[in-house]
Amino acid sequence: MASGNGTGNAEEVTASISAFLAAKHVPPTQAWMTAFISTIRLNTPIVALQKTALFRLLATDITTSTTKSAASCFATNITDPQVKERQVRGPITVQLLDVEDIGRSRWSQVEAIEAQERGETTKGREVIRVVPDDNGPDAATQNESKSSGPHKLLLQDANGLHVYAMELTSINGVGVQMAVGAKLVLKDFIVARGLILLEPRNVEMLGGKVDAWDRKWKEDRKKVLKEKAGVREGGG
Amino acid sequence: MPPRRQQTKVLCVAEKPSIAKAVASHLGGGQVNTHNTGNRYVKNYVFQYNFPAWGECEVTMTSVLGHLVSRDFESRYNNWRACDPSALFEAPIQTYIQDDLKPIAENIKSQARFAKYLYIWTDCDREGENIGDEIRQEALKGNASLSQPNRIFRARFSNIERAHIINAACNPVTLDDAQANAVYSRIELDLRIGACFTRNLTLSVQPLFHQHFGNREQGLISYGSCQFPTLGFVVERYLRVRNFVPETFWTIKVMHEKEDIKVNFRWARNHLFDRMPAVILFERCLAARIARVTKVQTKPTSKWKPLPLTTVELQKCGSRFLYMDSSRVMTVAESLYTKGWISYPRTETDQFDGGMDLRALVQKQTQGGPWAGLAQALMNGGFSAPRNGRNNDKAHPPIHPVNFVEPTQLDAQERSVYEFVVRRFLACCSEDARGSKTDISILYGTETFNASGLVVLARNYLDVYKYDRWTSSQVLPDFQEGEVFEPTEARIQDGKTSPPGYLTEPELIALMDANGIGTDATMAEHILKIKERNYAWVQPRGRRPQGNDGDDEAESGGEAPPAANATRGRRGRGGARGRGGRGGGVEGPGRGATTGVQEFIPTTLGVALVEGYENMGFEISLTKPFLRKEMELKMKAICDGQRTKAEVVHETIEQYRDVYVRTQQRLNVLRDAVRKYCLGPIEAHNG
Repeated sequence: MASGNGTGNAEEVTASISAFLAAKHVPPTQAWMTAFISTIRLNTPIVALQKTALFRLLATDITTSTTKSAASCFATNITDPQVKERQVRGPITVQLLDVEDIGRSRWSQVEAIEAQERGETTKGREVIRVVPDDNGPDAATQNESKSSGPHKLLLQDANGLHVYAMELTSINGVGVQMAVGAKLVLKDFIVARGLILLEPRNVEMLGGKVDAWDRKWKEDRKKVLKEKAGVREGGG
Repeated sequence: MPPRRQQTKVLCVAEKPSIAKAVASHLGGGQVNTHNTGNRYVKNYVFQYNFPAWGECEVTMTSVLGHLVSRDFESRYNNWRACDPSALFEAPIQTYIQDDLKPIAENIKSQARFAKYLYIWTDCDREGENIGDEIRQEALKGNASLSQPNRIFRARFSNIERAHIINAACNPVTLDDAQANAVYSRIELDLRIGACFTRNLTLSVQPLFHQHFGNREQGLISYGSCQFPTLGFVVERYLRVRNFVPETFWTIKVMHEKEDIKVNFRWARNHLFDRMPAVILFERCLAARIARVTKVQTKPTSKWKPLPLTTVELQKCGSRFLYMDSSRVMTVAESLYTKGWISYPRTETDQFDGGMDLRALVQKQTQGGPWAGLAQALMNGGFSAPRNGRNNDKAHPPIHPVNFVEPTQLDAQERSVYEFVVRRFLACCSEDARGSKTDISILYGTETFNASGLVVLARNYLDVYKYDRWTSSQVLPDFQEGEVFEPTEARIQDGKTSPPGYLTEPELIALMDANGIGTDATMAEHILKIKERNYAWVQPRGRRPQGNDGDDEAESGGEAPPAANATRGRRGRGGARGRGGRGGGVEGPGRGATTGVQEFIPTTLGVALVEGYENMGFEISLTKPFLRKEMELKMKAICDGQRTKAEVVHETIEQYRDVYVRTQQRLNVLRDAVRKYCLGPIEAHNG
């Protein structure tokens, strides 16, 4: 077993890092490992190399950088709406392609973005637009536009299959601030009519991000929300 | 007793004739001699009074009519085209007294000649301190010996009730120069910035109207550093309503009938804006079939009695409950104050000082009026100490009734405001309303639903404060935690979001207050200004936005009123008239109906200005609150002695000069907005 200082043996290092990554549910392809090894100094301490490898792998597209197996991917018919319910054990690693707050109207989210663009949320220039009421200990501040969630996620497995998922209860780290391309590991979850239902116990957030996708998502966000608000009538 | 000729003479000067008369009658008893002056509104009241510090004195009590002194640039700056507007940032300002006020100034000068003491009785707020300083300067011209120490004093009073006035007369204080200076800096800044930006705005935009319409109807387009952010709020809401996109949402409703009572349960998620997940969750509820009660909680609840009354609250409530706009409410409140029925209506304080004898005030209200019985109940043991708010301006108490007056002695509007002040005060001294609230939660599938019931047990303050509502809901049947049942009915339902309403006056006041625009004394004026300048008007709520182009047809934007501001009563810059001129707003469209909630609609010019300035970039932002808010904070700092007038004026001028320069570079953006909204489609060849 590799200890503190690197032994400098490419094969051993590769094997060690691959095993580490596989245990994290992101088993790398051989091609990716080869490319990675060529960028590092073999005698770097192995723990550091493992961390670096994980960090870099989490920034990639798992459909090309990780190995696939039937066990680690969704069944191809998982999105079938005819199936009322199915249980999936996993663990299945996915990457985030899109996230939406479906508890708030799209239009109110567009307005919030525009307010930010106008500088109204910058420190010292805040414009208060909602004034609180003074009604007693039970005054429920009914401020619908502030609600967060539940969130609907668009996920993709290593095979490239797209599946929607929804938070049943609030999951730490899930929200519109998530980075696109972030990786999650799902296990012991239910799929109802093709929609994955998630609770905190089903999800392990690995993190990461794919820069190009995330940037594009942020640029397009207002436009996409507007389209969804104006055009979208039915759901799904 | 020394013969009259050798008696010490005291000159007292109030801010308006009505106050002078009231104070004179309280102090002079029945022995007051009245003399005319050069101005037909102002009288000199002469009487004897024994001041603790000065002994038996001959007192002459007179008044001014608001601000005595006017300020303007030297006449060589009058020609707009002769200088760049930004020259006004530095241009020398001259002070002068308008012709119609000269007799009043003369009166003070000549009366001061024989006076040993000058005693100032202007209203106790910033403007009052400033007017006090103007009076002082005029008096010094007539009698330089008044500049010796301990010759000039000031009375502190919050209402015109006899005992209070006598107490004030016996406890003189000195003028607060810090507050006077805060007002001087405001006056200078408003003059320089207002004039510069008004000229700039008018010169840039007015020609477009003249060209387009082929006439010179479009007058001044004026700028004010408070009016623009106020207009900004109105326009922002207007555009929100106009641009609103309704969206469909889905919700799950559960109803269960038990003990012959239909209980409606509300989805904990409220609603979802995506149909698929909503339908899927609904299906899973149905599949679960059985719901389980997870929480049953009954606990006491209360509806708090209101806080002691401030100006902002009075204005908001005036709009909501009394169907009077903020200027009207303040005018009526001032009149009630002058007559001695209520305390000074300009205050930010929402806590009663511990030393005040509130019971005595409640006692006075047992004498009559529809609330007499309720007041009596408070005296009989129902009295409860008022809540304390967080604000104390240290100058005046919360607005409260000072004396009882038979409502039939007041006109309709006075009655309405007086009644509100009384009921509010009595409510403050009552108990909170008490009730019992039951909350029930059920788990149906993975979804939680809630129901609640309220039983009002004791109305308490609600009995006297008829402006609040709190009613029991239907009685809930008994549920036990752990109980299970199959809901009588569960269904999925859709709905559509709808736009907010246009801004109402209470909402506008609340926004101005929350964003630091204007003080309690000035908010109503700013709102009035944007109506007067035809940047916005009011219509009764209920008229939903029209789909046709009624709003978009080109309006000329209207004339701005002449600079003398003659209508605005005592706060006006020049020639303020204390009588008569008070209390009108501009009769805009829709103004006639003062019943029902009024909402603000910007004119095309108003929208064009806000959008034009917005498009110039947010760091300029004349229509956003923060520049003005900063100015207000600096005013306060001068009052608190933390900053000097010179510093604040200089700093603020530099800020606005910076804005001016940037504005200059982007004027085309403003012109495009005006063209878009006021003049029809943008024509490429216009300069």
